[in-house]
Amino acid sequence: MDNRLYFIVGDQVSGISVGILSALLAALLISTAWNMFIAMAVMMALAMLMGLFLSLVLGILFGSMEIMVPAMLAGMFSGMLAGMWLTMADVPLMHLVSLGAVTGFAVTCIIWFVNTLLRGIRPGETG
Amino acid sequence: MVDLVTQEKWDKAASTIDLMTGYGEQKRWLPFKTRLFGNMQPGKILFASLGTGLDIPAFPPDRSITAIDISPEMLSRAQHRIDDYPGEIKAEQVDIHEMPYPGDHFDQVFTSCTFCSVPEPVAALTAIHRVLKPGGRLYMFEHTGSRYFPFRNMLDLMTILARKIGPELNRNTVGNVRTAGFEVTEVNNLFLDIVKTIKAIKPLD
Repeated sequence: MDNRLYFIVGDQVSGISVGILSALLAALLISTAWNMFIAMAVMMALAMLMGLFLSLVLGILFGSMEIMVPAMLAGMFSGMLAGMWLTMADVPLMHLVSLGAVTGFAVTCIIWFVNTLLRGIRPGETG
Repeated sequence: MVDLVTQEKWDKAASTIDLMTGYGEQKRWLPFKTRLFGNMQPGKILFASLGTGLDIPAFPPDRSITAIDISPEMLSRAQHRIDDYPGEIKAEQVDIHEMPYPGDHFDQVFTSCTFCSVPEPVAALTAIHRVLKPGGRLYMFEHTGSRYFPFRNMLDLMTILARKIGPELNRNTVGNVRTAGFEVTEVNNLFLDIVKTIKAIKPLD
């Protein structure tokens, strides 16, 4: 994780925005008439692509690759969870917004954690 | 013979590259690039690929640098940054695969997001190996593919979408450096195992 405040805020704003928008996209497309597994698969793919395209815009402010990877994952998980929920019940919009925000926040935190494990000099990769 | 397809691709990208990578990307990575390019010593330095010159503010002053790029449009946009550099930058439109320099010519070679962009990365690294003096050092700031799920798969997917208009995101650049004959001395991951600096040396024999 980049410990400069600008990037801490930027990473979280990006993840949460993509999470919320992915859940809202699911609200537009998915209803209780859908098969749960098909809804999850469709939303996973669509929301991941949406995360990719949103990250092109957010990346201008916060760096492309460092936004693109978390945004795609946040979209994928948020879309999938929202899609699953919407096949089971009529979910109020605010609940979906909350789901998207929490998912985006959590994915960004997980990426930060994985980054702390992978970053730094890697003795195994040197010649 | 310049690869005209690649040249055209990067000529087209030149108009948007400062917008896409000139602010957030630079703000995030300029301190790391400044540290890496701070290894530039007096002597003959090759920098590939210059692009629009966004990396020039990370160069230490008073160096004599030959900077190449395949795209004349990129070099044209880099000119004001070249003019502002307190040292000498000789910018040349050169295809990295077919550099016109003699063998064992440069003391050091630096790259920045180069090996996601060239069509034949091992051939390009072999060309760098040829022009670098024995014992000379290669310093790279690159983004590469990942060894880990799900990042590896995401970068594969993104490459399908990105390669027509920009970089390939799933390359094994560390492995390619070794394949080209260098000894890798350090790999420093900056973001996951995707954005990294690589240091390598051309063996003496």
